[in-house]
Formats: sequence, C-alpha cells, structure tokens
Amino acid sequence: MKMPRKITFTVNGVKKQVEVKDNELLADVLRDKLQLTGVKQACWRGECGLCTVLLNGKPVKSCLILAVEANGAEIVTSEGLMEGDKLSHLQKSFVENGALQCGFCTPAFTLVTHYLLTQKPDASEEEIREYISGLICRCGTYNEIVKAVKQASQYYKK
Amino acid sequence: MRQKYIGKALPQLDSFHKVTGIAKYTHDISLPGMLHVKLVTSTEPHAEIINIDASEALKIPGVVAVLTGKDFPYRLGIYVGDRDVLAIDKVNWVGHPVAAVVAETMEAAEKAIDLVEVDYKPLKPVFDPFEALKEEAPIIHPKLGEYRRAPAFTPVPGTNIANKFTLRKGDVEKGFKEADVVVENRFYMPFVSHCYMETQSVVAHYHKDGTIEIWTSAQSPFAVRNLMGLSLGIPIGKIIIYQPFVGGGFGGKAGLHWEPLAALISKKVGYKPVKLKLSRKEQFTSAPVREGFHAEVKVGAKRNGKLTALKAKFILDSGAFADYTVNVSRAAGYSVGEVYDIPNVYCDSLAVYTNKVPTTAMRGFGHPESAWAVERSIEMLANELKMDPLKLRLMNVVKAGISTTVTGERLREDAGNPVQCLEAVAKAINWGKTEEKPKEPWKFIGKGLAVFSKGPAQPPNAASAAIIKINEDVTVDLMVGTGNFGQGTLTSLAQIVADELGVPVEKVRIRTMRSTDTVAYTWQTVGSRGLFTDGNAVLEALKDAKKQIKEVASQVLRVKPADLEIKDGKVMVKGRPWENVPLSDIVMGYTYPNGNSIGGPIIGRGKYISPINTYLDPETGQGIPTIFYTFGAAACKVEVDVLTGKVKVLEAAQAFDLGKAINPLLVRQQVEGGFIMGLSVALFEEIQFDERGWVLNPNFSTYWVARAADIPSKIDTIPVENPQKDAPYGARGIGEVVMLGVPPTIANAVQNAIGVNINNLPLTPENVWKAIKKQRPELVEEIKKKLVSWKWKV
Amino acid sequence: MSFGAPYISIPEFQYLKPKTLKEALETLSKYEDEAKVLAGGVGLLNLMKERLVEPEYVVDIKGIPELRKVTYEEGKGLTIGATVTLSELENNEIVERKYTALHEAIKVLSDPVLRNRSTLVGNVCEAFAWMDSLSPLLVFDAELKALSVNGERMIKAKDFIIGLAETALEPNELVASIFLPEPPKNSASKFIKFRSRSEFSVINVASLLANRDNPPERILRLAYGGATPSPVRVFAVEKVFKQQKPLNELLKEALDVVFKEVSPMEDMHASKEYREHLMETLTIKIIRELWGE
Repeated sequence: MKMPRKITFTVNGVKKQVEVKDNELLADVLRDKLQLTGVKQACWRGECGLCTVLLNGKPVKSCLILAVEANGAEIVTSEGLMEGDKLSHLQKSFVENGALQCGFCTPAFTLVTHYLLTQKPDASEEEIREYISGLICRCGTYNEIVKAVKQASQYYKK
Repeated sequence: MRQKYIGKALPQLDSFHKVTGIAKYTHDISLPGMLHVKLVTSTEPHAEIINIDASEALKIPGVVAVLTGKDFPYRLGIYVGDRDVLAIDKVNWVGHPVAAVVAETMEAAEKAIDLVEVDYKPLKPVFDPFEALKEEAPIIHPKLGEYRRAPAFTPVPGTNIANKFTLRKGDVEKGFKEADVVVENRFYMPFVSHCYMETQSVVAHYHKDGTIEIWTSAQSPFAVRNLMGLSLGIPIGKIIIYQPFVGGGFGGKAGLHWEPLAALISKKVGYKPVKLKLSRKEQFTSAPVREGFHAEVKVGAKRNGKLTALKAKFILDSGAFADYTVNVSRAAGYSVGEVYDIPNVYCDSLAVYTNKVPTTAMRGFGHPESAWAVERSIEMLANELKMDPLKLRLMNVVKAGISTTVTGERLREDAGNPVQCLEAVAKAINWGKTEEKPKEPWKFIGKGLAVFSKGPAQPPNAASAAIIKINEDVTVDLMVGTGNFGQGTLTSLAQIVADELGVPVEKVRIRTMRSTDTVAYTWQTVGSRGLFTDGNAVLEALKDAKKQIKEVASQVLRVKPADLEIKDGKVMVKGRPWENVPLSDIVMGYTYPNGNSIGGPIIGRGKYISPINTYLDPETGQGIPTIFYTFGAAACKVEVDVLTGKVKVLEAAQAFDLGKAINPLLVRQQVEGGFIMGLSVALFEEIQFDERGWVLNPNFSTYWVARAADIPSKIDTIPVENPQKDAPYGARGIGEVVMLGVPPTIANAVQNAIGVNINNLPLTPENVWKAIKKQRPELVEEIKKKLVSWKWKV
Repeated sequence: MSFGAPYISIPEFQYLKPKTLKEALETLSKYEDEAKVLAGGVGLLNLMKERLVEPEYVVDIKGIPELRKVTYEEGKGLTIGATVTLSELENNEIVERKYTALHEAIKVLSDPVLRNRSTLVGNVCEAFAWMDSLSPLLVFDAELKALSVNGERMIKAKDFIIGLAETALEPNELVASIFLPEPPKNSASKFIKFRSRSEFSVINVASLLANRDNPPERILRLAYGGATPSPVRVFAVEKVFKQQKPLNELLKEALDVVFKEVSPMEDMHASKEYREHLMETLTIKIIRELWGE
C-alpha cells in the first residue's frame, strides 16, 4: 500500500489541504473529499466532458488528471462560478433560456462557456458550438446553451 | 380562472440546483460506512457456469465479500420475469453479471474482480434472431414457462420467443387485391444505448428490522418498490425508495434494475449500506439497451393514393432478457400504421431472445420502430405512385371522430389533428420549393417529412394520485409520484397548482428528493403519461382542496360555497371582491374573535385511472391501448455529399398536436431534444457486436452521440393546440413522440435528394455511400469525374 | 478514448515529479519499463484505466522548464517541447502560417477542452494510427529528439512509429521535443480529416505542395493516417509530380502509386472498400485544392 501525501490547492477561492494517494484522480477527490458534486462523471475516459473544471483558469477534464498534479493549482468548479449565493449572469442565462433538462451536464457546460466568453466575448455561434463539442448533453439542449451563451456574452465584454 | 402561469414559458423550478451543481443525484449519495460493489461479468456469450473461485479476490485488503447467483435465487421483471440478480447456473451474454465484489473502496473492488476465476462450459450461442427462431436453435431460457408474467404477454416455452403479438383488422388479402400499387420492403434498426448521462446507480441499506432504504437513479420509484416486493417476496411496506435528481432516463431507467442486487448485498454483508454505480462500459454491456429491429412491410394503395392494406412482420432482437421488450413488441405491433386510416391491417410482432445484451424500453417504445418501417414504406409508395409524399400522407391520416384506428378504436372527436401538424412542418421548410443547388457538384439538397403518433403504452389499470398540502403561509406542497429526470413535468404541474389556487408559482414546493413514503402513488413515469395522468390527479386534488377552503370561507363570509372564488391569495365573494378572507386565515382552520375555530389543515387528494383503456384481444390485438394519441409531424432539409456519403441535416421543424402547451419552454426543450436524439440515432448510433457477441464500441469515442456541432441551429417547434376534454387543460404528453419520427424524416429527405432508398439504420457515410453505389452506380462515376475537373479556389 | 475495460480507478503507482531534465533521465534510466512519462495525461491515464499500461512509477515532466518551450528559428525550423499543449500550438502564429497542415489537424483533434491538456509529443508517443497529428508531421519531415542518460538522438517521425501503439523509443528515453524543419520555399500545406461516427479519423490525409508551375522543382508530399495500422508517407508519389504533364494525368499516376504502396485496412470504423474509396477521393481533393485553378 503506497502512502498518501498532503497536497494543497485553492478551490473556488478557498485554500484546501487534502490527503491523497498518488493514483487518485482529481475528479474523485473533488467529488468525494470536497463534496463538490458539480463535478460529474459519466464516461471516466475524457470523452463526455462532464468532469470539467477550470485548472489555473483553463477548462480541463478532471477524470484524466491526477490529484497530485493539481498540487498548488487554482481550481474552479461550477459552485465557484456563483457570485456569493447568487447565480452568475451566465448561470442565470442558462436557466432563463432553458439550457438544461436533467441537469447532469449543466455545470460542465457553464464552466467551458464561461472560459470561452472570458477569452472571446464575441464568439460566433459556430465557435461556441465547436468549443462545447467536447461535452455531451443527451437531453439535447445544445441550441439553448448557444442562446444562453450569446445572451450572457454582454457581461463579458469590456 | 385567470391563467397567469399556464401557457407561460417558465424555467424548471429546480434549475438553481442543477446549474450550480448542488443538485444531488444518486451518484452523489454517500452514507457512513458505505461499501462499494463491482460486477464480475461473463466473457462467454452462452455457457454453463461450472465453478466460481473467489479465494484470491477475497485476499485483497478491503474486500468484504464476493457473491454469486447461488446467493440470490430470484427471477425479476415487470412483464415477463426472465431476469436473474446475478447469473444462475448459466450465462446468456458477454457482460452478464456472474458475481459481485463488495469492498471498502472502489479501487479494492476493481482489483478484486480481476481475481475472481470463473470456469465456463461453453454452449452454442445464437446471435441472429432469425436463427434463434429455428427449431435447432439453442434455447436461451429453458424455464421460460415457469417465469412470472403479466396477462397481456404470451411467451412460447421451448422456443426463444419471449412474446408474440398479433394484430388483425379487416381482411388484408382482400385489401391487397383492391390495391393498384403494392410496395414491399425490409427494414432494420440496430441496438442502441439510451446514453443517459448519469449511469445506473443505486445505494441500498437493508436494516436489521427488515426495512429497506434505497436511493436509486430510476424513473419510477413506485414501480421499483412494487416489483422488488413481488420478485423477492418482501412486503412492500418494508421498502422505501428515494429518488434524488436523476441524470436522464429515456425509458432505460423504467421498471426495476439493480435495486434488488444492492439491497440483497446490503443484507448479506451485515446490513451495511452499499453502492453500485455502473461505469460507462458496464452501462453499454451489462445493462439493458434498445433492441435490434427487423421488419418486413407490405403496403397497398389505390392509384389515387388511398391506402387499402398494410401487412407487417416485426422481429425484435431482444437480447438475453426481454422482460420489458415483450411490451415493446406489443407496442410496435399495435402502433403499425396507427396514424393512418387503413381498413385492412395485419401484423405479427415477435420478441426473440438472442445471446446479446438484454434490452428494455426506450423513448418511443415500439413506435420509433413501427414509424421507421411505415414512414419509409409510405415514402416509397409515394415514389411508386409518382405522388407528392405530403399529399399522400394528408389523404390518408386519421380524422378525429371519424376514423377507426388499427386497433379498431373509433377516435374521439377531440383526439387531435395530424393534418395541421403536416401542413405546419411543410410550410416551415418550404415544402415544394426548389432550393438552390450547393456549388460543389457532389452535394445534393433534399427535403423529407413524416407523420406519426404516440400514446402511453401502459396497462389499462395504471393509476396515479396526488396530494396537495397547504401550509400556514399558503405555500403548497405538491406531492405527486411522477419522476423528474429532465422533462420538467413537475414544473408544469406547479403552474397548474399556482393558477388554480391563485398563489405565486414560487409558493408551490416540489421535492428535489422524493420518496415513496412521502409522495402520492403513480404507477410509473413512462410513456409520456405524467402530465396527463398525474395532472388529472392534481386537478382532482385541487378541486378537493378548494372545496374544503370554500366550505370554511362560506361560513366566514356567509355565502354559499358556489358564490366564492379563490384569487390572489384570498377567498372572495364573486362580484363583491372586497368581501374576502385571506387564505392564510383558512388553511389551518379559521378562528373567530372569541377563539371558536372551524375547519382545519387543508389537504386535497385526487386520483386518476383510465376508464376507457382495455386489454387488447389476444388474437386480433383489437381494443383501446392508450389514453390519448399525440399526433405529430417532422420535416427537415438535408445535404448529402455523394463523394463520401455524409448526410448533414441543415434545418428541421416538428409540429405536435399537444392539446395545450402548459409550458412552451419545456415543450421546446422536449421537441428540440427529441429531434437531436432522433438525429443521433438516425445518423450515428449503433452498438456494434463482433462475431463472438462482444460489444466493440462501449464508449463515447466510438459510439457517437450527437454533439453541438452535429445539429442544425434551426429546429423549429410548432405547437398545435386542439385540446382534449379529459386531459388537464387539454394537454397531451409529448416526451417520446418528439424523437420517433426523426429517422424516417431524414431518410426520406435523403431519398428526395439523391433518389436512393436507405432502409437500414444508421445512415452512416459508409452505409449511404454503399447504397448510392448499389442503387445509382452512374451517379458515383459522374461525381468522380466532376471532382477531378472541379476548379478549386486557392 | 477508451476500448472496453470496466474500471474507473487506476492501479497504484508512485508519482515522481523531477525538476530537471537530468533528474528525469536518471529516473527513467533507473526504472526503465517500470516507469512511464506523464505530460498531459490524456493518453497515459486512459491506458492505465484500461489496464493496458500498469507502471510502477509515473514521471511527471511538467516541472521541467526546457520542455515547456516552442522556439522558431527563421530558415531552420520549429521546435516544440514535450509539454507544450495542443491548444498552445493552435494559438501559435508560426504553426498556423508555416505548418498549416499541422495546424489544421490540431484544430480537429479530439476537442477543445482536451486540447488544453494533451500535447503533440504525447500524441506521437501514443502512436495510434488514427491520431490526426501524425500525417502532417510526416509531411513536414519532423524529427523527434530522444534523450537518455547516454545522450541524445534524433529519430525521424517516419521511423519513430513502428506499429500500432509501438514506437522506436527505448524505455530509458524521453522525447524532449519535436523538430519541424523549415518547410520548402513557396510551399502550402493542407490537412483533411474524414470522421464518420467516432472522434477519430476513418482516414486523414496531409499534403504539401511547392513550386507548382516548375515541374523539376515541384515538391508534392502526401501522407495518410488511419488508412493502415501506422501512418504512412508515400515517398514514391513525389517523383510522379516532377513530371511536366497535365494535372489529371499526374493524379492518375499518383493514385496508382498510392494504391501500390498503401493497402487500406478493414476495422470497426470502415470496410476496406470504403477506405479505398475515401483514400482515392481525399487524395484527389487535397491535391486539387492545393493546386488551385
């Protein structure tokens, strides 16, 4: 049995220290040790994208990252997109546009599109579609997601 | 009554939980001391289990137990109880769970499954349903005759036939004699997976007092409770089913799944809570999927297009367990040509066992199957008749109040109108208008449409109930059993409650975690029935609650109850609204100045059961199978690249006679989502098996599900509103009908584009290219020449 | 990317994160086959979940500064470090302008979120036939710089991949970077991916063309991914295009050569017949497109 080690990272703005084994995956640690259930898993192979988190600002699929790799990193999950106890403009726009059904994929889509809008607030519809194509929404709310992102883009423009 | 919320596009009331990620799904449920279960699955398609040796697995630190089929001598099921908890004596497909490892961590469990040694004695497998029907075929369920079954189903012991459904209306041979034109074709749909994002999962805790608590990612908590009790011989009163948020269902989480296994394991390991959560691979290969479908359809018409006869034979490749698929075969059979007025119809529909992944319900339930075969047949008939396929359909669709359906039911007057649906979608895609040709000569544009219908395929006695509890502050607890896995039915029901009671919709509380001991009963959340059946129960409960409120208020205001109305949080005298009493003074009982009190807490109750459904005649399939038909039509415009065979859907529209759109936003979600799922099934999806019965693509890299870049941005939703009088505000269900006509619509558009018939799904580039090559070899040659001489811009 | 194993956890190993190249090479030399190099992890962790790889040691090279770099020297070429991600390359102006075929391939490789993590070197080391980055690298005459405690060697991309998931790398070696020489003067390049119903190419083709109007000096290169178990550059076709003949004749001759050299495979994604058809069609398409009016 290999010994666990302590790692430190910032999650949603709060510094956290957790004990992990080398073979633990970031997605599992966020879910099981920090109860961040906005991180979902549906394929465990980097195919569906529902475990997406922002790692040092960029969206990545946390089922293919070791927790130890995130030592010292800044992590944001969907819980961290909120503004205090209020929904962010983007989250509100998802709700208003009906960009969610069963909700299982929604947190991941908000993180990925949040990043896209910070990089490219005027992203075209085609660019949005392309950028979210690493994620699956089986309920089929893609067109609503595109609408929600377009509507929220005004809040990302400087 | 003022309709403030009904008809309003309101986001789902639990959106906050979902968008932030705080919503708890079964995947997220964790109990103190909980153990993890991992399955050991069969590597043989058909074999006797000689021995299972778990001694090495048990040595792994953290492993608590390894259990096998011998520990669980039960048969499970809803319609034909053919399923085992873990394989008993024999395995029936590659992926069949043979043992369950229970461990303190998933890591230990996963290490241990590799060490469980299973000795098999291989038996001859059968993968093809036609082979399985032959006399010399190996029998997959030798004890078929002993299984518990529901009365509507007829398994044939000693064969691989899990169910045979027959439909006979009129005289089909006479009908073909009257026909001027007859077309006859074969059709195929492969096995597909529901691909709900949350894989099946269950947490179970069997307590020492015999109570069983279960958290499950299931569609229908009451069905889980009932079927568990029936299958395991446990009193229903001992079982509590919790339904947290559910990450999609699409039929694949209907009925009963892993709950018995988890509960029984919990008991075996000393009454500890256990969790089973499938990996995506296990979801593809060890849990049920949608069956493979083979059809032969013959349809005849007069020269003017009037249909005279329809004859169909359906073979459902049901895999190793057909527990639920027996009813799919029934629904496919009774829905053949359901949307058309045809005097003579004949159908045999068989569910057949094979040594492949077991099958179950999926969105549309037999109707996508029959619609694929029938709507392609109608298209080819139109071609043969040289008639506009829209015109042919308009001429033959059923008419409310006049037509008799294929099951011999005279359609009610307010059943809805497929003509309006067809006309609406045709208009939306400019049917009949020639489109500009793409500049590359190898690309062709085509348009297609289809018409179809769907009603709930439920037993005639499927019941629903509702409880409305009003609290001190006039918040309302809406307690219904219908599940919530994306459709948003609970939000629609809350809108009805808000309007009926005159309270803001925010004051209507729906539970995010629901349980069988706190909400009212409903049979299942399947078949697009929720809004209709539970909605009717809610309306009755509201009536009951309002009656109680008015009785108290009538004493306070000294008028007859009939002279009162409830509005804006008050009970007021009609015409003299200043004479009123606030609801908050009534709902817990009214107190006079001297302390005398009347009334008491208001709890409304309501129920619904269909007074009109019947069993279908076992010989002819005649009867009334459903409580409503939602008619719909789809149309789309496609681009076909003849060079590669690639089909791209450019735009689409769907119209449904849903009676009344209680919530147009939820309607749009269903219609678009259904179209996208239908597109995905039409163009991409197929579980591929190798010659030994192994699934080749149990993952999202190679089992492709439509993503944002695969779909058109224009998918129109057109509600047609002809209300049905016995429906809540006239509303019919639409959860399934939205996807079932999409594959034939796309294939019809491909035919329109390039004159090639494709009757086997999916329409992958290779399948389309091969069909072009076979049916129009000259086109392939012509296009190749054009490619070489095409002037490219740098 | 996955195949068919049921696991969601990965087996135990020891995680090492060297701070210097020297330390990394010493670690690899010490543990050889028992160690695996981790960069983006998209490939390695998936293979570990599938139990196709079960290392004792995982060596994370993301802490080594010199592997993070992309450097370009005018006239010489481009060097891409082992931990440079695909999205970094996607946003690299030199890659886009000078190595267009590679840029086009990266843009359609897996998806934008995975590209934030996965690396070009990792892609090459996985050596899967259907990876989109391989055929462009062949067309650009790429070379891999393999380091070990014993020194350094350059391996040509065409010699690096020796079979499905098999490379010429020794267990104690680390690919530090990929070098792409300056493309021929006046050249343009292109990449076409044909995807059916998986994230991978059924077949892809990369091509480079220079000096179209001067046959003796004309350069035309062609490479395919997904057609055969390892990617292939068809060198023999290059002679054909040195001839002064009309394009239609050149194409015909070129296709004869291509079909002699490359025999497309049959697998779950496509039949042999269909791959052959695609190979023919895409070859004509990519050359016609590069050729222009």
